[in-house]
Amino acid sequence: MSARSTTEGGARVIEAGRPPERYARGWHCLGLAEQFKDGEPHEIEAFGTKLVVFQAAESGRLHVLNAFCPHMGGNLAHGTVKGDAVACPFHDWRWGGDGKCAGIPYAHRVPPRARTRAWRTLEENKQLFVWHDPQGAPPPEGVTIPRIEGAFSDEWSDWTWHSLRVDGANCREIVDNVVDMAHFFYVHNSFPTYFKNVFEGHVATQYMNSAPRTDMTAADTVASAGDLRSDASYYGPSYMIDHIWVEQDGATVETVLINCHYPVSPDSFVLMYGAIVKKLPGMTDEMAAAAAAETSQGLATGFEEDVAIWRNKTRIDNPLLCDQDGPVYQLRRWYEQFYVDAEDVRPEMTDRFEFEIDTERAVQVWKAEVEENLARRAAADAATAGEK
Amino acid sequence: MQPVECGDCGNEVLVHKRSLPHTAVQWTRSTDHCPELAGPDSARVPVCTRLRASIEQAVRDGALTVDDGGEP
Ligand code: FES
Ligand SMILES: [Fe+2]
Repeated sequence: MSARSTTEGGARVIEAGRPPERYARGWHCLGLAEQFKDGEPHEIEAFGTKLVVFQAAESGRLHVLNAFCPHMGGNLAHGTVKGDAVACPFHDWRWGGDGKCAGIPYAHRVPPRARTRAWRTLEENKQLFVWHDPQGAPPPEGVTIPRIEGAFSDEWSDWTWHSLRVDGANCREIVDNVVDMAHFFYVHNSFPTYFKNVFEGHVATQYMNSAPRTDMTAADTVASAGDLRSDASYYGPSYMIDHIWVEQDGATVETVLINCHYPVSPDSFVLMYGAIVKKLPGMTDEMAAAAAAETSQGLATGFEEDVAIWRNKTRIDNPLLCDQDGPVYQLRRWYEQFYVDAEDVRPEMTDRFEFEIDTERAVQVWKAEVEENLARRAAADAATAGEK
Repeated sequence: MQPVECGDCGNEVLVHKRSLPHTAVQWTRSTDHCPELAGPDSARVPVCTRLRASIEQAVRDGALTVDDGGEP
């Protein structure tokens, strides 16, 4: 599928291409809903513009509007919530959650059709989502954010939540991770043993089993201490739910991770992640919170490892793949459905595609590498012991 | 990729096998008529076991060749 690639004197030429000027169609998570419910307007830089998020004082609902006021361009995120409207700091025009001008205190009347853009919102899993579609259409049937039962259950911890702005990279970089088995070993010090992808409709899934890295100390790796099974799906272009089961001390620890982002500009995005952990029998709320915090810390390290790669790599439209790589081109074909007009989505972007990697060779090589590392460490330890 | 017909529902998919454990399956129509995948959550079902059995049978029969060549 990389037939269009050129060579120069036999050497492969990287096509860096250009990040798309438009932003993906889909639901984008803006963060935990709670963080917007403090009575203040909040500014979000996204989709090449600025948005204001505010909670209507009376109805309690969260709303998202264009941040810039159509009157004279004031920034509503620096204004005040007054009743169910947000008031502009410049001349106090009031804007309701539906985008209609709700009043201009110093004027006789509101100009007819005074309206700003109201963004469609959704609260699910205690998170706030905004719908982005360059064509302005509502979400098609079936395109929604699935409910995570654990997020509403006393048997689970509360969400931990972190956000991180990544400059100098298009958000396609993080989506590529869905198919990138080998980077889990080399970048994240984990040990994949099984790896499968399924893309269908607006969902892209990664099924992965991994083993602990016995050559790594807790300080070297965010990978788990026991066998891990992960089942992770993107629902649309930017919101991934990852169910993880880890065998630890004879028990199965169940975690749900969120990995999501929203674009700021064609070459920057805000990456967010959080976790909830299911309480084991006998676990107090504090212990569950601590377990979630620990998982979250591991996630933070993992994303920092990715970011370090992205900061220094080039965008590449024509990756040169080997037989143990995942289906990067098919993933990007799936991802493209969010960047074309709805009527231009071709069947091959959404038709089901499954890809199961034969991990035998990789597992064999990685085992040998782990053993070598262990032997080297044992020799170093013996030498230090001898010096004493 | 080579066509393989599901022995159960008769749907034809395109399959590429680089080795026995490796499998790539490209559907060319909706999964609505597959007894194991049909439904709103088809994307979250990892595999149709009946189709998988047909693919394995095709390998045993020699109708589907395991091919290590070509680009991934
Ligand atoms: S610019 Fe907002 S009220 Fe004038
Ligand atoms: Fe990664």
